[in-house]
Amino acid sequence: MFVRCLYSTEQTKTKCLKINAVQQKLMQQFLLKKGDFSKFVNTAIKDSDFVAPVEGSREKQNTRPFFREISSADEIYLGRKSYYTVKGFFFRENEKIFGFNGNKIINPESELKDTIYFGLRRCDLNGIYHQDIVFLDENEDPFYKARRDASLLIGYHCREGDDYCFCNSMELVDFFDLMFYDKGENYAVETGSEKGNSFVKKYSKFFTKADNAVSDEDRKTVNRKKLNTADIKDDYDNDDWKKGSDICVSCGACNFLCMNCHCFDFEDDVEFDLKAGSRIRKPASCQLRSFTRVAGNHVFRNERNARFKHRIYHQLQYFRERHNVQFCTGCGRCIEGCPVRIDWVEIINEMKK
Amino acid sequence: MPKPKVGFYDLTGCQGCLLSVIFNENEILDMLSKIDVKEFRFIMDEKYSGKLDVCFVEGTVVNKEDEKVLGKLRERSKILVALGACACHGNIPALRNFADEKKLDYLKYEKKHEQMQDMEKPMPIAKFVNVDYSIPGCPPDRDEIKKFIKEILLGKEFRNYSDPVCRECRLFENGCLIDDGQICLGPLTKGGCHAVCTTNGFKCYGCRGVTDDANFEGYFRLLEEKGKTDVQIKKHMETFAGIEINEKLKDTEWQQLH
Ligand code: SF4
Ligand code: SF4
Ligand code: SF4
Ligand code: SF4
Ligand code: SF4
Repeated sequence: MFVRCLYSTEQTKTKCLKINAVQQKLMQQFLLKKGDFSKFVNTAIKDSDFVAPVEGSREKQNTRPFFREISSADEIYLGRKSYYTVKGFFFRENEKIFGFNGNKIINPESELKDTIYFGLRRCDLNGIYHQDIVFLDENEDPFYKARRDASLLIGYHCREGDDYCFCNSMELVDFFDLMFYDKGENYAVETGSEKGNSFVKKYSKFFTKADNAVSDEDRKTVNRKKLNTADIKDDYDNDDWKKGSDICVSCGACNFLCMNCHCFDFEDDVEFDLKAGSRIRKPASCQLRSFTRVAGNHVFRNERNARFKHRIYHQLQYFRERHNVQFCTGCGRCIEGCPVRIDWVEIINEMKK
Repeated sequence: MPKPKVGFYDLTGCQGCLLSVIFNENEILDMLSKIDVKEFRFIMDEKYSGKLDVCFVEGTVVNKEDEKVLGKLRERSKILVALGACACHGNIPALRNFADEKKLDYLKYEKKHEQMQDMEKPMPIAKFVNVDYSIPGCPPDRDEIKKFIKEILLGKEFRNYSDPVCRECRLFENGCLIDDGQICLGPLTKGGCHAVCTTNGFKCYGCRGVTDDANFEGYFRLLEEKGKTDVQIKKHMETFAGIEINEKLKDTEWQQLH
């Protein structure tokens, strides 16, 4: 996958990641007529599963945009960023890791179809990049890998963020197979990987080569919100964190809505014969007390304040110290989805005043 | 290992909890082949008065008769399990604790009233006997009942689902009812119910009891910001786990709210 630094001229601190002359050559640009968009999507749907953001659905008691598998281009909603991320497709509730029967281990069979993920924002794509670091680079997770191998990531560039986005404050990278930019009558489309290039070749009747289709101006996003600094290493003992943790109701929404959060728990389930069963993986949340409970019912981060700080420190410090990549992608979903709207970005901005 | 002797009993309740045991239709035969059911009036006529390894008790203690039955069950049982919200937290029957007595006057003309009079405060079973495990919920989740039985068979210590309802609610990608201005008890309430109410658009009434770690102050503040009054919130909270919440909030203004 192609990774390139975007804002290096503006953000002096940004380090360009894995810039690679060979990969640079890979990048190609095209135009796709908006009038052909539906036809293009409906053709692609015939060949692969197609996941895209939709506006919300009454049956699910959910009027917030979320990702689902669609069967027609009409369902796609690009009006604003999705409230729920695409994460659930890669990292599922109750994933069977293996089955067992007595001493015998039974690996779950997977029937994976090639899947196109369309309409991913830059924050989503960077979140996937971070999940890759955890589930591919650090330790290869076969379930995650299989789903990633079968995936094609198509981005949709934001011209403007909503009230919660602050992606420009974070050091994001370019990470996509294809990226769509809205150019009025057309979409400008940029490829970022071999996979992206062969995809365009496969559907070449919809794409016209256009070498300067995407300008630096196109790549910018306007944010209303800003995190003044992500450097909080000396602020751990600051009392201001309590402004957030005192009113936090420990619901975990901030973690479950975050594209980066990847923590999980295991549970074993046995059949009534007490011989056969399976090991199940479930998403966990560091804001919940169960997260740091260990044998003997000891809880490491019993205080809500310690849990709250752990989340922010993982998002801004720990991951960067370990992997040299900014973890939080500035999507603001953890603020929008928090029932209390705890705005940790403002807490930090004020703390640093 | 001999099969454990198991009994299912009910005090004052609606018997929905016992139905939740049977509603495991796909696995009920496997389950019954692993345990020796001594009494369960939904599926057999036999009565049993000997010792039990595991005794499930449904319902609330609302009168002296219930108290007596419960006391005897405790004496005969190695492991006593409170099954369902009534047994665990008093549930709807215990609402009487919070009712305005004058409003109940009309009951004097009903025959039932005499029976009820001998105990003014219906209470969860843990108020009377030592309870080893609780399987909360109205009705309890059938998967949790199965899990409990398997863990007992394996000789493990059963641990309840302890994360809030919001966990499952968010993973199912529901909208949030608090955001929509409703009094949803999800953040305070133990999940493990597959968020069945909120997923279907009903606010959570807290039938599975309060999480170990509930932030009541933060919760009240949040709902007051959404325009809810203390009394509205209190009425909502009293419905299923009122007794438990009352205890957690003793020495606060909560007690004086009407
Ligand atoms: S955080 Fe940035 S990339 Fe993500 S939705 Fe907002 S503006 Fe778009
Ligand atoms: S520790 Fe918390 S913030 Fe970090 S990935 Fe896990 S759930 Fe997310
Ligand atoms: S921590 Fe919050 S703002 Fe950052 S990526 Fe996660 S949800 Fe988005
Ligand atoms: S979403 Fe908000 S209230 Fe819920 S755990 Fe996160 S910070 Fe706390
Ligand atoms: S609807 Fe209720 S249970 Fe669901 S996330 Fe909101 S507060 Fe939690």
